Amino acid sequence: MSKPERQHPVAAITKALDVLRGNFITILLVIFIGGGDEDTFLLYWIIGMVVLLLIWGVLSWLRFTFELNEGELKIEQGVFVRKKLYLTSDRIQVIDISAGVIQRIFGLVAVEVKTAGSSSKEAKISALSREKAEELKSKLRQAVNGKEKDIEHEDRDEPEQKVYSLTTRDLLVAASTSGRMGVALSIVGAAFSQIDQFISDEEIYQFIEANMPQSTSASLVIMSIIGILLISWLFSFITTLITYYGFSVEVRKNELLISRGLFERIQLTIPFNRIQAVQVKEGLMRQPFGYVTLVIESAGYGEKEGNSTVLFPLIDKGKMHGFLKEVLPEYNYEMMQQGAVPPKRALRRYLIRTLWWTLPVILVAWAAIPYGVYTWFLLPMGLLLGYQQYRDAGICTEGDTLIISARQLSKKTAIVKRYRMQATQLKQNPFQKRMTLRDFIVHVASGNQGRSFSVRDIAVQDANRYWQWLAMERQSQPEIQDTPFNHPDAEVSSED
Amino acid sequence: MRSSPKNNLSKSAISAWRVSTLLSMLFLFLIPLTMWMISYLGSGQMSLWIISAITFGLVVLAGLAIFFIPEIRWQRWSYQVDEHEIDLQSGILIITRTLVPVKRVQHVDTRQGPILRSYGLADVTISTAATTHRIPALEEETAEDVRDRISKFARLAKEDV
Repeated sequence: MSKPERQHPVAAITKALDVLRGNFITILLVIFIGGGDEDTFLLYWIIGMVVLLLIWGVLSWLRFTFELNEGELKIEQGVFVRKKLYLTSDRIQVIDISAGVIQRIFGLVAVEVKTAGSSSKEAKISALSREKAEELKSKLRQAVNGKEKDIEHEDRDEPEQKVYSLTTRDLLVAASTSGRMGVALSIVGAAFSQIDQFISDEEIYQFIEANMPQSTSASLVIMSIIGILLISWLFSFITTLITYYGFSVEVRKNELLISRGLFERIQLTIPFNRIQAVQVKEGLMRQPFGYVTLVIESAGYGEKEGNSTVLFPLIDKGKMHGFLKEVLPEYNYEMMQQGAVPPKRALRRYLIRTLWWTLPVILVAWAAIPYGVYTWFLLPMGLLLGYQQYRDAGICTEGDTLIISARQLSKKTAIVKRYRMQATQLKQNPFQKRMTLRDFIVHVASGNQGRSFSVRDIAVQDANRYWQWLAMERQSQPEIQDTPFNHPDAEVSSED
Repeated sequence: MRSSPKNNLSKSAISAWRVSTLLSMLFLFLIPLTMWMISYLGSGQMSLWIISAITFGLVVLAGLAIFFIPEIRWQRWSYQVDEHEIDLQSGILIITRTLVPVKRVQHVDTRQGPILRSYGLADVTISTAATTHRIPALEEETAEDVRDRISKFARLAKEDV
């Protein structure tokens, strides 16, 4: 690949579709406003638009060339404005290979190259044959790992590639317990609120009276709540199914290869040395069954994914250590055997924090909604959550690794390497000061920004100890002597 | 726990902050001002009590923000830069102590708005791959010195993300 090359002509179509997707609302407006009333006229508009888009697609396909030269990827593109993009391979963080519906029809893939900190839209080659994509990828990788390869070649035997995939059963479990209910709920809720645009109230009443003559308003409220919950559950079930269909993780020598997706096949390549932290998430609905989700934070990857990548969507907690041991041995740690937890005096703060949002919700609902009085059941649940948040918060170290765990709704345990830490913070407000408590926060790089992990209200001397530990990387200092867990009854003597 | 970082901000930071708070407060006073205008010129439906209360509240708030907070903020702010780490402490109610390993620093720069410039001050902004930190209102020379020092230390310790 030393001379400029074009993509597969199918790129013209995908480009046209991209433009279509990007300007969807404008196009709708043009069609509805500019089209007038006559149907034939509307048809002309649509045909004209499609032809224009295709011409644009072909032009941009013609003007798009890429070239790989001594580890440098050069992309030239742009119909009116020529853009040249040079990517040196040692700055490349992630190479994504994905295949959308169009690509899959023609047996092609799209390759996206990402560097840290740049928005990556322009480094996307949207239609390539799979072999060519693999070739491109391996050439880019080779240039990066050139030096390391020489050393590693000494151990002749190529480590066999291990592949872990999600079984159908686990996929189904993952889909049915996915925590996407919240998102789905808001979508369904929004859709419900729009329903009267299409159906008048009277029609609804008629429908109800015709089908459920005995219904009272109470049973209606309950039934619509159940209905909304069911629909959102179904929605989250299906989206999770589509997202994680055919999920597999392949362990290569220098990188992880994660592929997933039903309609759009997505392949992520994450080099081991870009991984910043691993998170173990125990969702509210999965925790009782002992299932966890593993998530990787890696530098330079992904705006869409909220900057994290799912390493494995659903795994039995018992098997997790075996999995991590083989895939990411440096991140395999027993969770929280010893270390610091919030002292007993912090419990009050944990409980009060949940009141901050439960009480207003309850009071508003009580005053405003019929049957709002039932929202009082939120109170014990909120307090229970607060207590659980208190129980699940903790921090400990092992060797070079910091393990920090906390719960919002689901419990998240982050495993962070000291040498990956970007910044550390201690926070204390006046109330905490009186109780000699502190919040402890660490920041790691993730995607274009960062992610922070925090544990709230731990004893000042514990916070200081870990803070100190993080500051000590450079010197060969004695490690923290982690005392065995003394949760939660032992009162810690306070000092400032 | 080590003691607090040992360097303080420039003393004239207080005056600079006062001026900038004053300016932003002037904008805030547009709210009761328009309310007074409406009640004088318009139909006068707004309760004078409420408008007076809002104005009074704003005066108190502005007084606090202009006369006390900059002073407290200055007292709480301290920083220290050495070859290994940048240590910052700040906060008025919530006290934040931040530690940034120097080798994590991606870039560092100094910034200066019109108010800071008139007092001969500048902010130092430190960015890592995950976070951005600011040491506000240092003397220009100090700011440049801090910036250069951090940048030098960061270059010496350069490594992967």
